[in-house]
Amino acid sequence: MIRNDLSNKKPLNILEKIEESLEKLNDKIEIMIEIQKNGNGNNGNNQKTSLSLPDASLDVMTLLSMPDHLRKTAMVICRCSRATAEEIAEQTKRARAVESAYLNQLVIMGYLKKERKGRKAYFFIDRENQS
Amino acid sequence: MSKIIAVHSYKGGTGKTLLSVNLAATFAKSGKKVCVFDLDFRAPSLFAILKTPNADYWLNDYLNNTCEIDKTLIDLSSRIPGNGKFYACLANPSTEAIRDMSSKDRKWEMRALGRLLALRETLLKDQKFDYLFFDTSPGLQYSSINAIVAADFVVVATTGDRSDVDGTKRMLAELYNLFEKKTGLVLNKVLDASATAKKTEMQNKIKADYQVPMLGMVPCFCEILRAEGNLIFVQDKPDHPFTKILAEMTKKIENDEVN
Repeated sequence: MIRNDLSNKKPLNILEKIEESLEKLNDKIEIMIEIQKNGNGNNGNNQKTSLSLPDASLDVMTLLSMPDHLRKTAMVICRCSRATAEEIAEQTKRARAVESAYLNQLVIMGYLKKERKGRKAYFFIDRENQS
Repeated sequence: MSKIIAVHSYKGGTGKTLLSVNLAATFAKSGKKVCVFDLDFRAPSLFAILKTPNADYWLNDYLNNTCEIDKTLIDLSSRIPGNGKFYACLANPSTEAIRDMSSKDRKWEMRALGRLLALRETLLKDQKFDYLFFDTSPGLQYSSINAIVAADFVVVATTGDRSDVDGTKRMLAELYNLFEKKTGLVLNKVLDASATAKKTEMQNKIKADYQVPMLGMVPCFCEILRAEGNLIFVQDKPDHPFTKILAEMTKKIENDEVN
């Protein structure tokens, strides 16, 4: 897929494309790992909901009981309503890839939602729509 | 730089409300725009201390998402000399409201945290408030921890009482540390604090004991007890030592010099 786009493009663009593809792969691998861990649900009709624990709320007691590395990420996302892994990494002073992994973990745990817009993935807490 | 400041303690009766109101009033006296929030929903007291007229909307309503924050703010600036602005946002003291607030679930608390965090945008950024003071309920309550998470700085009030010391130490180590909050300890109701030698000795002991920066030390003043919680002390007694101690604390907070 990438190879078709490579002609006439600058190296930086190519690297960005590769990075984007790697990120997508990463997301997919993490989902696969999670499915393997939890056993792939029996119904299988809605993959997305089987991946996250429904109704998990990111309240302060949950924050308190989290492992330190995830709490740090979750605290920052609590403050900004919506952010990319890069924005979170700026505040936590950790690598973007590390934050990306933690954020995806929080999504799988049901605490965050993830939305792709163009090349960027935004993470947010869906406070209002949780019943 | 504008800040949200939570005033918290392990035990009750350590002087949180007195500190919140008077720190806010001190800032207002120096020309700042401030607001005190009563987050002690189990035992609201700010309305009694500030002797406000009956409010139409309470902080409870804002957190319940039934009104915007503007409706809950009561302008008390006329009580403070100078050009500063002093507002209060009260907790509903009716028994029904207290019962309602104590039966909230985790989802509600999560949304309440979101509403508190949103004040950073609506009040600090848009309406140019300089300081918001969250007067919390003691111990590990949902509302208090929400306030701590939403705050930039936590003022921890404590007394020398044995029942308070151990709990405060634990809270400092296990709560504020986990949330990576900047804290400043206020030792309140200190006996024999007038002698300078004694003061320095106590300050060093506290620093070693609690392992956190001191914001200040408040001696036990009979006048405060005699006032029966009826006054904004820094306004009614401008030359009282308590007023001067608070002025030093606000300077430290303003200049980020708590260490």
